Amino acid sequence: MFAYVVRRILATIPVMAVVALFVFSLLYIAPGDPAAVIAGDQATPEDVERIRASLGLDRPYLVRFGAWVWDIMRGDLGVSIFTNLPVSTMIQQRIEPTLSLMVVTLLLAVSVAVPLGVLAAWKVGTWVDNAVMSFAVLAFSVPVFVVGYLLAYIFALELDWLPVQGYTAFSQGFWPWLENLILPAIALGSVYIALIARITRATMLEVLQQDYIRTARAKGAGQRSILFLHALKNAAVPIVTVIGIGIALLIGGAVVTESVFAIPGLGRLTVDAILRRDYPVIQGVVLLFSFVYVLVNLAIDLLYTLFDPRIRY
Amino acid sequence: MDRRTFLKAGAGVATIGASGTIAAPALSQGAAARTLRFVPQANLANFDPIWGTQYVVRNAACLVWDTLYGFDSNLTPQRQMVESEEVTDGGKTWTFRLREGLRFHDGEPVRAQDVAASLNRWAVRDGMGQMIRAIQEEPVSAVDDRTFRWRLKQPYPKMLVALGKNNTPMAFIMPERLARTDPFQQVSEFIGSGPMRLARNEWVPGARAVFTRFEQYVPRNEPPSWLAGGKRMNVDRIEWIIMPDPATASAALMNGEIDWWESPLTDLVPALRRNRNVQVDIQDPLGNIGSFRFNHLHAPFNDVRARRAVAMALSQEDYMRAVVGDDRSLWQTLPSFFTPGTPLYTEAGGEILKGPRNLDAARRLLAESGYNGQPITVLVAQDQAPLKAMGEVTNALLTSLGMRVDFVATDWGTVGQRRASKAPPGQGGWHIFHTWHAGADCTNPAAYLALRTHGDGAWFGWPSDEAVEAARLKWFDAPNLEAEKAAVAEMNAAAMRHVTYIPTGFYKVFQAWRRNVTGVVGAPIPFFWNVSKS
Repeated sequence: MFAYVVRRILATIPVMAVVALFVFSLLYIAPGDPAAVIAGDQATPEDVERIRASLGLDRPYLVRFGAWVWDIMRGDLGVSIFTNLPVSTMIQQRIEPTLSLMVVTLLLAVSVAVPLGVLAAWKVGTWVDNAVMSFAVLAFSVPVFVVGYLLAYIFALELDWLPVQGYTAFSQGFWPWLENLILPAIALGSVYIALIARITRATMLEVLQQDYIRTARAKGAGQRSILFLHALKNAAVPIVTVIGIGIALLIGGAVVTESVFAIPGLGRLTVDAILRRDYPVIQGVVLLFSFVYVLVNLAIDLLYTLFDPRIRY
Repeated sequence: MDRRTFLKAGAGVATIGASGTIAAPALSQGAAARTLRFVPQANLANFDPIWGTQYVVRNAACLVWDTLYGFDSNLTPQRQMVESEEVTDGGKTWTFRLREGLRFHDGEPVRAQDVAASLNRWAVRDGMGQMIRAIQEEPVSAVDDRTFRWRLKQPYPKMLVALGKNNTPMAFIMPERLARTDPFQQVSEFIGSGPMRLARNEWVPGARAVFTRFEQYVPRNEPPSWLAGGKRMNVDRIEWIIMPDPATASAALMNGEIDWWESPLTDLVPALRRNRNVQVDIQDPLGNIGSFRFNHLHAPFNDVRARRAVAMALSQEDYMRAVVGDDRSLWQTLPSFFTPGTPLYTEAGGEILKGPRNLDAARRLLAESGYNGQPITVLVAQDQAPLKAMGEVTNALLTSLGMRVDFVATDWGTVGQRRASKAPPGQGGWHIFHTWHAGADCTNPAAYLALRTHGDGAWFGWPSDEAVEAARLKWFDAPNLEAEKAAVAEMNAAAMRHVTYIPTGFYKVFQAWRRNVTGVVGAPIPFFWNVSKS
């Protein structure tokens, strides 16, 4: 197992190298010019050109790529073209809100979706099943930002229960922290809940047809024990896989959710950087996201061994 | 106690046991009243107002850096950091004396050496500064700690306009060690002598910037008027909160989570007006001028007849309705390049934009220009609502003239890059793009880059016309208002003949604030002095 983990971690290096090459090349050929954004609308073409030169953006592709890779190998993600701050500092400033949003969303989604899926499978064909599946279709179909606006309108503007926007650091207290995350987590989690609930239902239905479930029933095991002890554990592998895949969904959704709820996280940092063509920031954040995604996949693979003892690495 | 506070209390009690953490105490009413929460028009991503000349940077910079002179609401430069000035040697030598007691945020006194270094850096980047540099006998220098002098080869009557104007880049005064930075590089510290200081450790670019009151700031005794007069701060802390989503900002304002929103979307204004706690008014009486910008280097718009054909057919009303809507109090047609309601406003030569549109005549003129059906590349930034709207109207206009349109729907970052290309439109260049000019930049020719017509060195599109440039120089040399008016009328007429660009109309936008905030004024810059919160 240990050797496997080490092998997988080492395997991230070529993956990250490919991501780095891809991101850098894509940005190089993409249109747009940070110097023009910095210079503002009143600048002359000469001003723009001089700013480009001062930023080193007039250097050839290979020179720029080489310098960037060399910096990364030394653990330096570079400096933002606009803010003059190290990219690592900017990521550090923004990582807590995004991490908080993702953790709360994940907890909310799993704790709601799995019981819902189990319930739908248990009551298959009944109105409960239909209601859960209708909710899933609805949650899939409505965009995150629409859910976000609706929630903000109802729970913040009309009922005045929760704030419309913003983020409070965890260090300032649990409730102020959570208060700002409830609506965004529900908005972001709705698609995720639908996805997990559907896969849970489908897998549970399959497992509930198995012989060992019939045996458990014959032995007089209770319904709760059958569902959660025997069936759910055996249905866990595909569910965990979907949860893992869904992390990418969360990262994508966080970009929109953070904008709608004005949460100063990595998603907004990415969008701002793309709109301004702040290349070092875009490259740094994409590398980070890729790294996280690779690690999440590794964690999922390791979790398989917990749920299915037959899986060995 | 409102519902949220009640719920907070309940939830707080419930969570203390679970988390072991006590919720952060709420700000006392007094402390909340001393903090103003402001949503600016854009993200404050950088903070050197000489290096980066975006409006949002200038607006924030006005809190941190002071200027020698400042425009008042009559667009007249008034003394700010300066105590007195003297013009000698037939108008060729300007000697200035600084007010006493001025200090930078690091506690150091403001010296003439700081001013000289700041002006020398500014003059490299600013259009008027460049003009002064071109005629200076020697660079501006300190005579003693409070006196500095600028010796010129010829008189420059607009010196105080240059030093006090609110167009970017403004002549902000920095400590000498920072002002010695290359004007094309960012300064590393943000130390000014303005009424507020940047709380650097709380600045999260893209999320928020915090300014705290500078206790040692010495305001002038005169009442405040835009950038002139006493800049007295009635709040201790100003938080700039960046909100990319207008609907969120609107809800936050209605919910009392922010105090002042600089630029609400027009569509959201009716909802804001219905809220009894929110006040909505015109943001800037000087408004904005929409711009239809040609590339003068390539056919067909290198022929003035093609440009005139478009101007003859263009309906400013169509553009303004698309950009602002049907509320006529927010916009007007504009047969001029200058800001309506300001002293130099003129409609001389503006007939081509007046009256019913004549499509047939425009088509004939276009044919005379030799237009051969080639595609017209129009760059349209989809992420800027006014530009997107103008682009759509232009698409319809050119099509109605029988032109083939290559509609390039892209983002502003790409337009910013591509408009700098002089290549033929089919090879990465362009024919037309849209932008808008702040009315404050169009009150006179001083900082009106878009109306320069000196060819290769001119603004994007590189128009070339000697008559416009000659009239512009007359304005700089004008000894009085009458002469200035005559020069501007001549310039307007020449630019209309030449169709340097086409103004698509004049429009205003709103700002909104909570009713417990007082002292907000309509101006090109959000001025925070004299603003109170109860």
